Amino acid sequence: MFERVRPRNLEDFEEPRMVPLGGHLFGACFFLMKLLPARFMLKRAVERGQLAPGGTICESSSGTFALALAMLSVLNGYRLLIVGDWALDRNLRRRLLQLGAELDIVEEPHPIGGFQLARLERLQEHLRRRPGSYWPAQYYNEDNPISYSKVAACFIDAVGPIDCLVGTVGSGGSMCGTARYLRMLFPDLTVIGVDTHNSVLFGQPNAPRKVSGLGGGIVPANVDHTQFDEIHWLPASEIMASAHDLHGRHGLFMGPTSGAAFRVARWWSDSNPGKTVVAIFPDEGHRYADTVYDEAWLESSIPGWNGTRMEEPTAVSSPTVDMTSWAKYPWRRRNLSDVLGDLPPRI
Amino acid sequence: MSAKSGIGKAMAHHGELLQGVFDHIDGYLRRGLVSLPYPALTSLATFTPNARAEITVSPTGREKARRAADLTIASFAQVRTGGHIQLVSDIPIGRGMGSSTADVLASIQAVLDYLRVFPTAEHIMRIAVDAETACDSTLFKQQAVLFAQRDGIVLEVFRKPLPALNILSVDTTPESTVSTVEFEPARYCPAEIEMFRPLRSLLRKAIDSGDVRSLGRVATASAVINERFLPKPGLRELQAIASRYDAAGLQVAHSGTMAGLIFDPEDDRAPENMHLARKAIDALGLVSAPLKLERA
Ligand SMILES: Cc1ncc(COP(=O)(O)O)c(C=O)c1O
Repeated sequence: MFERVRPRNLEDFEEPRMVPLGGHLFGACFFLMKLLPARFMLKRAVERGQLAPGGTICESSSGTFALALAMLSVLNGYRLLIVGDWALDRNLRRRLLQLGAELDIVEEPHPIGGFQLARLERLQEHLRRRPGSYWPAQYYNEDNPISYSKVAACFIDAVGPIDCLVGTVGSGGSMCGTARYLRMLFPDLTVIGVDTHNSVLFGQPNAPRKVSGLGGGIVPANVDHTQFDEIHWLPASEIMASAHDLHGRHGLFMGPTSGAAFRVARWWSDSNPGKTVVAIFPDEGHRYADTVYDEAWLESSIPGWNGTRMEEPTAVSSPTVDMTSWAKYPWRRRNLSDVLGDLPPRI
Repeated sequence: MSAKSGIGKAMAHHGELLQGVFDHIDGYLRRGLVSLPYPALTSLATFTPNARAEITVSPTGREKARRAADLTIASFAQVRTGGHIQLVSDIPIGRGMGSSTADVLASIQAVLDYLRVFPTAEHIMRIAVDAETACDSTLFKQQAVLFAQRDGIVLEVFRKPLPALNILSVDTTPESTVSTVEFEPARYCPAEIEMFRPLRSLLRKAIDSGDVRSLGRVATASAVINERFLPKPGLRELQAIASRYDAAGLQVAHSGTMAGLIFDPEDDRAPENMHLARKAIDALGLVSAPLKLERA
């Protein structure tokens, strides 16, 4: 008997490897997490007739989602246009170009919505100019969170029932999608979102941020605030130091958002012994070799980054307070409006 | 063919622990389920050959059982024979308890017993699906399986049989019946299709480790997903009772009216909790009955 051979389009790279980190803490180490939502969104777009063979994909991204789309576009014969900004570093630019993507870099931030909104406005121009092109829209597209069923299944396969999920929040897809699936089975699951200072996602006033991949200047529709029990905000210095800890102590060379998730997950796991905790590590460290893992770069960009690590977060009374160090707030599965009253701009 | 007649027996089920759509190794999605067997209720078939050209059945009207016997003769008999299938069943009809499937499986096995042939369980299931369109997984006793009820194929064999379970059985609508076959199969939306992946993962873990709590969680989630397709009156109230009395979960007949609160026989407090849960179910105006499922 022969089994039909199905082209798997990098699907074997979608699932995380589950690494025990001591106690009952596990790191879900992705090669490139965004391959999963990207593949799923494209598949659904084809099924809905929104993306034709050889069609054009346009997206705004300065990071891993762009890379995932570019890899899948090469394999499936799509044309790809990426609208990015400064966060699209030299190495990633080169890779995207080598993958045949077209790049449009936005130089000026929007006066209120920052670079994120400026990119989205530029993207709209491109979409108008290229009728029939497809916009995956990872910030709004429901298929982004829906795609994480495979990740929830993988966690259960590896560790069985789960008590706590920790991860950074950007579009919201990974944390909110995974949490929703896990809560169908484990209604008491504790979900902890990790954000960074000056990100509006959970109520901080908007200001420049130093780490990309988490947080943002506008609140994506895919952030389902009611999934979160607790929110933590980390400054860039703690995030960088923690990425180095993950590498130095566990041999895992991962990106800065992995460091952020590790920081909070380690603390929660140590404070709740016996509870099974999974932390999401969304990408590997190679992309950040010249930044996060270059000590000279770190010293000049984030002076004193390796100086002091806080033992534990400071509890804050409101998500809007001025933060200088690691902070936590009991979100208690509420809407953003229930927590804040008045709302920052939402897309 | 020395035997004068053959007999076959098949059991009812108490709905399912999980029903949905699942990946098959061929890359396609298939409808699949894991039945919760109910060995105390059975259908018993006796096949007696005769010189007539066709197969007859009594009670009359059990056309699917007749067709199943006919298909079995056609597949396995060296010499075509006529005969009569006599069915005796105590399985209630239209409750989603597999009365019709049990008649079909008992009839197939009665003919096989008469013919003295012993095909695989999967082969038997395919005949059953041909006769009946959809079928349950009660025939698989040594190991639990995820069974494609409309294709007659096994999607996954688990390492162990189902663990022993105590069920508090409730008929959610005693006054109405559901026809399993006429009932249109659920049209799951893409988001629902994805939900079955983690459910399947936890089910596998639960069966392989005999973890009744996790099994209950899977069953509850499957019951909740099914509410969009065949809502059970009072399911929320039953869920509240299940959690108040520390049941492992709640399972339903996805194409019937039965529901069951699942308790772990290893839990010392289960008998007391089942007693209290029965009282609470009485207060809802519903009737419940305890049933014990031994490990196969
Ligand atoms: C490296 C990295 N980590 C984490 C995230 C956050 O994931 P999500 O968008 O699913 O919230 C992103 C999102 O862009 C990312 O690029």
